[in-house]
Amino acid sequence: MSIDFWSLGLQAVNVTILIWLLSRFFWRPVAAAIKKRQDTVSRLLNDAQTAKTNADAILAEVTTAREGIAAERETMLTDAAQKAESAANLALVNAQKQAQTLIDTAQLESTRTADALRAELTEQATLLAVNIAQKLLSRLDTAVVQSAFVGLLVEAIGALSAEDRESLRAANQGIELVGTLDLNDQEKASLSQALSQALGSSPALTFLSNPELIAGLEIRTPHFALHNSWQSDLATIAKALNHAE
Amino acid sequence: MNSPLQANVLFQLGPVPITEAVITTWAIMVILILGSFLLARHLDTLPGKRQAILELIVATLDIQIRETSGAAPAPYRGFIGTLFLFILIANWSSLIPGITPPTAQLETDAALAILVFLSIIWFGISKGGVRGYFKSFAAPNLIMIPLNILESVTRIFSMFVRLFGNVMSGVFVIGIVASLAGLLVPIPLMALDLLTGLVQAYIFAVLAMVFITATVEESQPTVKDSPPASPPLEERES
Repeated sequence: MSIDFWSLGLQAVNVTILIWLLSRFFWRPVAAAIKKRQDTVSRLLNDAQTAKTNADAILAEVTTAREGIAAERETMLTDAAQKAESAANLALVNAQKQAQTLIDTAQLESTRTADALRAELTEQATLLAVNIAQKLLSRLDTAVVQSAFVGLLVEAIGALSAEDRESLRAANQGIELVGTLDLNDQEKASLSQALSQALGSSPALTFLSNPELIAGLEIRTPHFALHNSWQSDLATIAKALNHAE
Repeated sequence: MNSPLQANVLFQLGPVPITEAVITTWAIMVILILGSFLLARHLDTLPGKRQAILELIVATLDIQIRETSGAAPAPYRGFIGTLFLFILIANWSSLIPGITPPTAQLETDAALAILVFLSIIWFGISKGGVRGYFKSFAAPNLIMIPLNILESVTRIFSMFVRLFGNVMSGVFVIGIVASLAGLLVPIPLMALDLLTGLVQAYIFAVLAMVFITATVEESQPTVKDSPPASPPLEERES
């Protein structure tokens, strides 16, 4: 048994070369691939963890924001409901005020219209009544009525104050005596005598006729008038009726 | 039948005799290098079956190195892994008729043992420095220096003798049985030789890692124990 040192050295060199080549072409590339994948997986896991952390943070923010939005929405809805209720109440009050104003105005207008209508109707009724009275009185006996009005005129002169009676006596331009018809001389003399007795003097008389008096005898001076006719009586009644309304 | 203890010189290359073991070693080198180059050409982040098998081999080797040495496997992966693969392929090359495994020749095993011896020196110096490496011979004390030096040689000697004896004996037994009993009779012995070849390759690689680790650990500077956090019991009682 002997050892060939040439073969020993050659085999040592061969194995050394094999070690170097396999390290270069096999062990290092495969180990590098494993390391690369491990690094990649670690990086992906870290990225995933980071992404998960970020996603959790964003989810928390979104949840908080949603809660805030919900609270804000609730507050806004409550405010809007309160504002709407206030506006509705205000509008209702305004509408009630306006309606009340309209009702008051309408009632006032209605009252005013009714008053005006009533006054107009009263006036028309008064005119109608006066017309009816005129037509009825015009059918009476003229002589009898005339003699009655002469008596009434004498009573009216007697009822005058002393100053008025004196002013009648002192009328320079005379006294106008107005009747419904033209008087004959006998009637004028009788009437002058009655007036002279009533006044205590004999003033100048002027006899006039006015059918509108219906019936009656009136005294007129430039400064004095003594109404004594149905026309004046009816006018007084109509005025009193109108004023009574 | 030639004696397994005698190298079969095929031709001379100048003064260098080229034996059958050298030729077989070159063939194994070509197969391993070409195979590695072709298999490890296109490695991707998402591995296929081919890459998964390659990564399984590397991961298993890393686990063995880490469990044996407790250190990171990267510095030792190329050396230990190549030793294992070469010895395994060389041992299993006996299955090819007419091929004698290179590890059945004393020169190949001695060359492997010398490489392990040199690698122990290399890793010892690179990890602990020259002083640390030489200090590893003085463990646990100076008296052990001669014995440690002797051990560093004898353990290497035992490595290659163990590998040579197992592989050579397997080849020798198979040759004897084949020459005496017939063609198919050695098949069970050849199957056993497969297991023997795997075990011997594993033992050689693991022993190389153990020797390297022992030297590297002993070449590291010793760390003094830190004082205890609590005072001794006597001081507390007094």
